[in-house]
Amino acid sequence: MKPGRRRLRCRLAAACALAAAAAQAHVASTGFLDVTARGAVLQGSIELAVRDVELAVGVDANGDGSITWGELRAAEPRLTRYLAEHLTLAADGSDCALRFGHLEVNGRVDGNYAWVPFEGRCARVSARLKIGYHVLAGIDPSHRGLLRLGAGDSVQTAVLDPAARATALTPGHAAPWRAFAGYFQAGVWHIWSGIDHLLFLLSLLLPAVLARHGGRWEPVAAARPACISILKVVTAFTLAHSITLSLAALGVLRLPARLTESVIAASIVVAAVNNIFPLVTEARARIAFAFGLLHGFGFASVLTEMGLPEGARLISLLAFNCGIEAGQLAVVLAVMPAVYALRRVEIYRRTLLPWGSGAIATVALGWLAQRALG
Amino acid sequence: MPGDAETASHSRFRRGWLAALALTALGASGPPYATPYVPERDDEVLATLPRGVGHSSAELRAQAAARLDVALPLAQFYISQARATGDLRFLGYAEALLTRWRERTPPIPAALVLEATIQQSRHSFAAALAELDRALGLQPDDPQAWLTRAAVLRVLGRYEEAGSSCQHVAAADAVVAELCAQAARALDGHLRNAYAVVLALPLASLANTARAWRCSELGEMAARIGDSAGAARWFRMALELAPDDVYTRGAYADLLLESGRAAETLKLLQGYESMEPLLLRSAIAQQQLGDPRAARARVLLASAFAVEQQRGEEVHRREQARFLLDLAREPAAALAVAGENWRTQREPADALILLRAARAASRPEAAVPVAQFIREHGLEDLRLAPYLEMTAPRARPEAR
Repeated sequence: MKPGRRRLRCRLAAACALAAAAAQAHVASTGFLDVTARGAVLQGSIELAVRDVELAVGVDANGDGSITWGELRAAEPRLTRYLAEHLTLAADGSDCALRFGHLEVNGRVDGNYAWVPFEGRCARVSARLKIGYHVLAGIDPSHRGLLRLGAGDSVQTAVLDPAARATALTPGHAAPWRAFAGYFQAGVWHIWSGIDHLLFLLSLLLPAVLARHGGRWEPVAAARPACISILKVVTAFTLAHSITLSLAALGVLRLPARLTESVIAASIVVAAVNNIFPLVTEARARIAFAFGLLHGFGFASVLTEMGLPEGARLISLLAFNCGIEAGQLAVVLAVMPAVYALRRVEIYRRTLLPWGSGAIATVALGWLAQRALG
Repeated sequence: MPGDAETASHSRFRRGWLAALALTALGASGPPYATPYVPERDDEVLATLPRGVGHSSAELRAQAAARLDVALPLAQFYISQARATGDLRFLGYAEALLTRWRERTPPIPAALVLEATIQQSRHSFAAALAELDRALGLQPDDPQAWLTRAAVLRVLGRYEEAGSSCQHVAAADAVVAELCAQAARALDGHLRNAYAVVLALPLASLANTARAWRCSELGEMAARIGDSAGAARWFRMALELAPDDVYTRGAYADLLLESGRAAETLKLLQGYESMEPLLLRSAIAQQQLGDPRAARARVLLASAFAVEQQRGEEVHRREQARFLLDLAREPAAALAVAGENWRTQREPADALILLRAARAASRPEAAVPVAQFIREHGLEDLRLAPYLEMTAPRARPEAR
């Protein structure tokens, strides 16, 4: 900005502030948080009424009841520290490093505000931004932050309650496909990194290319029965976890995390041990369905942690679920043809299947102990 | 909870266009605030702190967490400051002091009643009633809780329940209980009789606050009967006893505005413009007088309403509707806000703004629920009568 223009604006602001001093219409305490997302960098500013800054960090050094620019400036380090403690921005679950710039003053109609710019550096480009805003918590419970979040050419707003843990938003969700893409990606990523779900599914799928004859695993003759068996297991698992994922993510049903995580671990043990000492050979789809219900709660806990963006809850839920299915399908498509090809190989049936399943069961038993007792 | 933020934000989205309309209606050439700047002089005063909110009071506020005998009077002080100055921040400070005492088991009933008063001041009537019910569960004969409950129910148009709440006060103070009951009856089809009963109440035992309340009720009743001179007299007496009563000052200002006495209205409201309801009436008076200061008042009001709306609050909905109708001259937007306001508030002034907006927007059908309510309760008010005609069921066109 050119210096001349800036000076003019200063004058206008001062005039405005003067007018405000004469007659202020009172509004409840409100902070203004402005954030613009540019890739992994967030640029923003936070504005708090000078009066509120006094309550938060103490500004009126001489205690005369009026706050001067000199006093506010002297309190700048305290204010910056306070802001750093009471404002967090996290992209995809990891905190962005906030760096606060130099304090300025903004005249609003209800009085002067301390205006502090900041820059946030996030570990990655965020599909969703989680904002923890706890300004004046415990001092004025009616304080609210008005968020204006810009990304590209979209702008969204939200009311931030300092008593709430955090508010999750998807920058630029005004274009619904972006929210969809973000949550889809998160779903894929979750199934790939959450190895417990895959191990369960694979434990059920490994014997799909075989059939039980006289107490021994024999290769199936053709692709068709193998495919049908795979399809049944995958469909049952998908159906079951979609049901509970939706119910839990929408807050209809809740189960304690320790319970679901323990049962998920137990489900892997059951599925793997069943490959070594088969009890259920034909109805593995039923196991997939029954335990799939619990796996759905596991997926939901991730989604709850991420938060569903306002105004796009269902679409985000759908996207996340589709992401999970896609990730799961990709693994099935990559693994099963190889397994099918190996089905006639003795070593697969005699060694790989039982010992592999044994290894899976052992790992899962460890998880079970950890999750149930930890 | 994030869920709460979502709900608030959702309702904000729903009403966002109204704020936009309000701003456009002003012809504002941009947001009513400027660009951040660095003040040139260190001694430039940025803010003046009201009493009791400096960082120096932090010690006192910290004590309130451990000492009920500090928390209650300080909360009471903050609430009275909020009422006297219109500064809503004080309600928040009071609430912070009460949190601990409300959340412990068992909660302190007096803290619950004060919290109810805070919610009432914010027009969160359901929350206020919930707090009062909790308080009364612990202390069934608390007269203050019953009085507050009656006042809230009256605003909600639940006159019978309000009346029976008043009965519980009788043991503590029979005169106040009667005043409370008549204030509800006056809205429930017994205006003239209630006026006579309140007029005849023995005053000797009444404290100043109750006397002021009586005068204010009499003023309102007189205004609704159509006795402007009598109403003005009662309002003046009420304000002498309780100059900080925003409600009465606003009612008196309305009486003056209705009889075209804008200059007197301005004088009445001078020094009280920090309170939104009074700033609104002051701006209307200025507009009637062609006073250039009206423009600035409009900007102040528009920005305050915009922030409230963004926050998803309902505190000044009635005033906002009136702002849109009388100052911004946006009858359609005014009608929408007045309609929302009517869903939570049922005072004669709430009926009036909805009826006026419906007529101005040429949408008489929007006024039908109000007309029904008025007929149902036999609510008498000379100011409402002229608008009821438009909602009267017309002869239907012949069936085909």
